[in-house]
Amino acid sequence: MSARTSTVEPLNMEWAKLYVGGKGLMLRYLWDLTEAGMDPWAPENPLIVATGPFAGTNVSTCSRIVLGGKSPASGTILDSYCGGSFGSILKYAGYDLIIVQGRSPELTMVWIKDDEVSFVPAGKYAGMLTADIEANLRRDFDEHMTSLSIGPAGESKLPWACVSNDQYHKAGRGGTGALMGSKNLKAIAVAGTGKVTVGDAKAFLEDIERINTDYVLTDDNYWVHEEGTPVLVSLTSDGGCQPVRNYSAGTFEQADNLNSEAFQKIRVKKRACYQCALACRNFHRNDEVEGEGPEYETIALCGANCGVGDIDALMKFNHLCDEYGLDTISTGNVLALAMDLTEKGIHDFGVRFGEIESYLKVPEQLATRSGIGAELALGARALAAKYGHPELAMEVKNLEAPGYDPRGTFGMAIAYASSDRGGCHMRSFPVGAEVVEGTMPPDTLDTSKAQWNIDFQNHYGFKFSGIWCDFWAIDYDQMRQLMKHVWGREVTREELEKVGERVWNLGRLFNVREGLTRQDDSIPWAMLEKPFADGPSAGKVIGTERFNRVMSEYYALRGWDEDAVPTEAKLAELGVDVRL
Amino acid sequence: MPHVMINSKKCTGCHLCELGCSAFHEGGFQPSRARLFADVNPTTAAIKGHTCLQTACAKCQEACSLGAIVTRTITVTPQGDFAGREKTGGSVEGRVLVVDESKCTNCGECYDVCPTDVIHEHPERHVAFKCDLCDGDPQCIAFCQNKYVLAVDLKVDKMDREPAAV
Repeated sequence: MSARTSTVEPLNMEWAKLYVGGKGLMLRYLWDLTEAGMDPWAPENPLIVATGPFAGTNVSTCSRIVLGGKSPASGTILDSYCGGSFGSILKYAGYDLIIVQGRSPELTMVWIKDDEVSFVPAGKYAGMLTADIEANLRRDFDEHMTSLSIGPAGESKLPWACVSNDQYHKAGRGGTGALMGSKNLKAIAVAGTGKVTVGDAKAFLEDIERINTDYVLTDDNYWVHEEGTPVLVSLTSDGGCQPVRNYSAGTFEQADNLNSEAFQKIRVKKRACYQCALACRNFHRNDEVEGEGPEYETIALCGANCGVGDIDALMKFNHLCDEYGLDTISTGNVLALAMDLTEKGIHDFGVRFGEIESYLKVPEQLATRSGIGAELALGARALAAKYGHPELAMEVKNLEAPGYDPRGTFGMAIAYASSDRGGCHMRSFPVGAEVVEGTMPPDTLDTSKAQWNIDFQNHYGFKFSGIWCDFWAIDYDQMRQLMKHVWGREVTREELEKVGERVWNLGRLFNVREGLTRQDDSIPWAMLEKPFADGPSAGKVIGTERFNRVMSEYYALRGWDEDAVPTEAKLAELGVDVRL
Repeated sequence: MPHVMINSKKCTGCHLCELGCSAFHEGGFQPSRARLFADVNPTTAAIKGHTCLQTACAKCQEACSLGAIVTRTITVTPQGDFAGREKTGGSVEGRVLVVDESKCTNCGECYDVCPTDVIHEHPERHVAFKCDLCDGDPQCIAFCQNKYVLAVDLKVDKMDREPAAV
């Protein structure tokens, strides 16, 4: 970006063999491109956009991309995903991966039309909201283009600014938008007319048709299409693990206003990402706004956690976050903290649980750092510390926690603490077994749950290198049937498990290199020690001692030492090709 | 007469029909060369399907002074699910318009008159290319694989313009 030049390089096939694509390949490039201890706000921090091997084909969900770098929010690895169409179109333009380095002296965008890459001054798009910039780019460049862009929040480098594709797809977590903003990069737009081919096309098409029929939209997976993520609202509230009023309770008394049934009443359309048969996305319309979402995390964090049970207000808030380019998890989490500090009389931010007028002003205030936005932009950890109440900050590694409270789903304590990017539910998801399916008790924590999280994380290490979407419950056997078309040979489950574990260990190595220690693998005190007064999880806590014991077991099972550093033996066994 | 339609209300905008089309005709996934397309506005819920209505429209054939758009008989038996199967019985006899590449000079007359924007110059062969119903097994229908949606459908139009005299 500094010199506004671009080069095209062949993909590093050695790395592609070891790490496949997506998360794994992005991390390998990230390791290579960065020095230990790099300031995430420095121009040297690369923004990497990576596809997986199935982008552009007809394999459902695989249009997904990962945006990576060193997280401006948590200082850990940054791997943030979104669907939409960018991954597929980027492949038709002829690219697997984009690496953006440096910092432009002025607001700039990158325009990619097949082989042509140009840098275009973007001053006229400054301050534009998401829908507006996308409409302008389609008009100014190509009606069939798609783009990654930031809103005002990214331009002001809010640590949880997100990147948008096709308006409703957000690489939300960890500050991808802030990273783009720090490069003075307003948008990357791409249009592609090329072809994606596969080795044995006939066998591939036959296999995919069978796989799409047998595995993608099965009866088990039907909820994805029929309801989408709002299905979780009733489940987590009834299970006592929904964040309510800054995680002070696990059951929301107004959950019925915001559950799947409520949203189905205002749903006008089902929509799909590019190349995906699932069509999980819900397009809603009420008297004031129309658009996709809110998804579960937004409903939990910006609804229940802010004490808001008004579906119209939540729709509007979600729309504003989309337009300004805000991650709704961190937004709802930090806003609830400000409400909590106000209600407890610690500091008056002028926002209170369930109070709509002030609530609806916050997205703009955050994006432009005006009003209380200037202070809230500190994030949960720094804001709570500033007012002398660090115990009220619900974050892990300085990334605000999402919509599941471990007091109602104990396994999430390990999931949060061991997550490679901080407070995150997308590395392992015990909620599924503990609360949704009820196949694992929600109120136990022991060695088996450490192992359960490890297996899930390794599985997702591979799955997110694929890149398959979370909503396709694809197992190793199904991935194996697909990967044989990438590697041109029969593939075993063990191979895929090994790649997944390799990816997870590479992420850990990066975090260790950047100075993270076992002490950072902690979760908020309240989640461990302060029981809820009411609801199904009332009176139950994990306790710090038990938590620390199981975390030690987690490290041992991972083949890491007591300080959570991968051992040489483990790295050699997995074939990780870098060392500290 | 048989032709493919995209039900804009049902369509989710996944573009799998375009991928199936290009895989069959171009040997790879290349939506820029698909013979049909779903115009998806990412911001609103609006989707507009663009497909060839074959002999029910025949504007390309009327515009072609060289007789390069020819009428052929065809039996269409789509694979996979499609919403109109119960009406068609799964198999339809009819006519389809195809490009006779030996006669086409790429003059562009048909490109200008197509009301659905689905006949264009082929970037490599430099002749017109359009939907030919995949020899009776339309891949767009086969690839519309969300069984709860089935937006790409075989329609049978009663209207049928007589083949232009050559």
